[in-house]
Amino acid sequence: MTGNLAVHFEGVGKKYPHFALENIHLELEQGSIMGFIGANGAGKSTTMRILMGLVRQDCGAVEVLGHSMPEEQVAAKREIGFVSEDMRLYDGATIAWHMQLIGKIYPAWDQTYADHLCRHFDLKPQQKVKGLSHGQRVKSALMLVLARHPRLLVLDEPTTGLDPVARHEVLGELMKVLADEHRTILFSSHNTLDVEQISDTITFVDWGRIIDSGDKESYLDSWRRMRLDVPPGVTLPSLPGTIATERVGRMAVLTTCSFDPAMTALCRDAGANMQSVDRMTFEEIFIQNVESRRDRVIA
Amino acid sequence: MNYAMVRLLILKDWYLQRWIILGSLAGGALALAITISFGKAGFFIGMILLVTVLIASGDQLAFTLVVNERKEKTLAFVMSLPISAVEYTAGKVLANLLIFLVPWTAILVGSLTLILATPAIPHGLVPYVTIMCIEILVTTCFVSCVAIVSESQSWAIATVIVGNVGFNVVGYCVAHVASVAATMFGPVVVWNPASITILLAELVTIAVLFAFTFYVQSRKTHFI
Repeated sequence: MTGNLAVHFEGVGKKYPHFALENIHLELEQGSIMGFIGANGAGKSTTMRILMGLVRQDCGAVEVLGHSMPEEQVAAKREIGFVSEDMRLYDGATIAWHMQLIGKIYPAWDQTYADHLCRHFDLKPQQKVKGLSHGQRVKSALMLVLARHPRLLVLDEPTTGLDPVARHEVLGELMKVLADEHRTILFSSHNTLDVEQISDTITFVDWGRIIDSGDKESYLDSWRRMRLDVPPGVTLPSLPGTIATERVGRMAVLTTCSFDPAMTALCRDAGANMQSVDRMTFEEIFIQNVESRRDRVIA
Repeated sequence: MNYAMVRLLILKDWYLQRWIILGSLAGGALALAITISFGKAGFFIGMILLVTVLIASGDQLAFTLVVNERKEKTLAFVMSLPISAVEYTAGKVLANLLIFLVPWTAILVGSLTLILATPAIPHGLVPYVTIMCIEILVTTCFVSCVAIVSESQSWAIATVIVGNVGFNVVGYCVAHVASVAATMFGPVVVWNPASITILLAELVTIAVLFAFTFYVQSRKTHFI
């Protein structure tokens, strides 16, 4: 494993009766923030559980912070902070009790920072978990993780089910954490807006496979939707990276993942009139990516 | 094995189950009070209540300590801590055992003291009561171990049913072992080879249950 990698998956697979994670190759550099985007049931949580050593892969190798997983999970988990949407704290205990518990386990526990986070997230340490709202529970779990300064943060859909204010608070605190350039974050969500906001690299996962991975800016730079007026008798040229072509009468909409300004001239030379070239949002890129891959698989 | 971490896991469960411990102690004390307060009828009612308190607290522990960990999704939180599967298992097995031993020991000592201190109760009952108390411990360990291995409420409920039926069958069988039955209602405590063999078999069963649990847990590939 390269010394600079925080996470390295090599040919990882895991089979369940109705789902299979196949041939996962994933590299996450130290200090980077990777957004892991996929629909429900795409394999995000399974990948993260394998990363944490909570699920043993059937094949392939996983290294996290230099530790082979799941064999060296105890050492790795000392340096990983894991928050999952379906993770709960103990209902019968208070937030303060959880803070004490974590403080006893992790020497790096920072009580001052924990108190700050409690104030920022509007959490009352003496409150029992039983009486917390979903948003407060997520924020409590996040506080318990952040206040021990883990080298790697693994966040499995932490913003799912949060109201807009709570989401803003959680993402805001994560943005602050990102200021520490030694901190690595793997953040999964099906909400592309959240991922886009904090990630510098994006990985799309669907049907148990990684379908694309790259840095955020290059996605935004290379994906375009072109609207063309195509007169009768004109044939559009074959453009590289064309993901989808839709035609209604004279109107054609082309989606490409490797846009080059020269494409405009190519279409014009062929006799088509370029009406607009639009940048795409991450949600559009994600949906287009997933749909075209599914179409290829089904075909 | 990180013993400090296992100790912390046990203390965590001890804290979370503190009301069950207090409740079972209170129930046990009430049952003992009934046993000595209302003559022969009180003795039988009290004994039934004692057995009920012990079995109920053992089963309750298995559900709240183990099954609920998965059901209430706290397992992900625990397993995200720097612990191994074996340390988690050790924490659960020992927490179940140690917490249960609090009411169990109090009720066993209370029952034996009651028998020995009450002239009207035959002292020969001591071996039988001890064997049956340990049988409750075996049943509780059985339910806990199945709950830990399966993490399933359905399996745990099935085990509770099997354990309770098994307890009554064992009680009937032990009472009908000729050498045990011969001295059971006598005025003195007699530990004959049959009683000792049954008692040792119960202790070996507990050891086998724990060994099996650690074996299965160490080979598990999924924790959440």
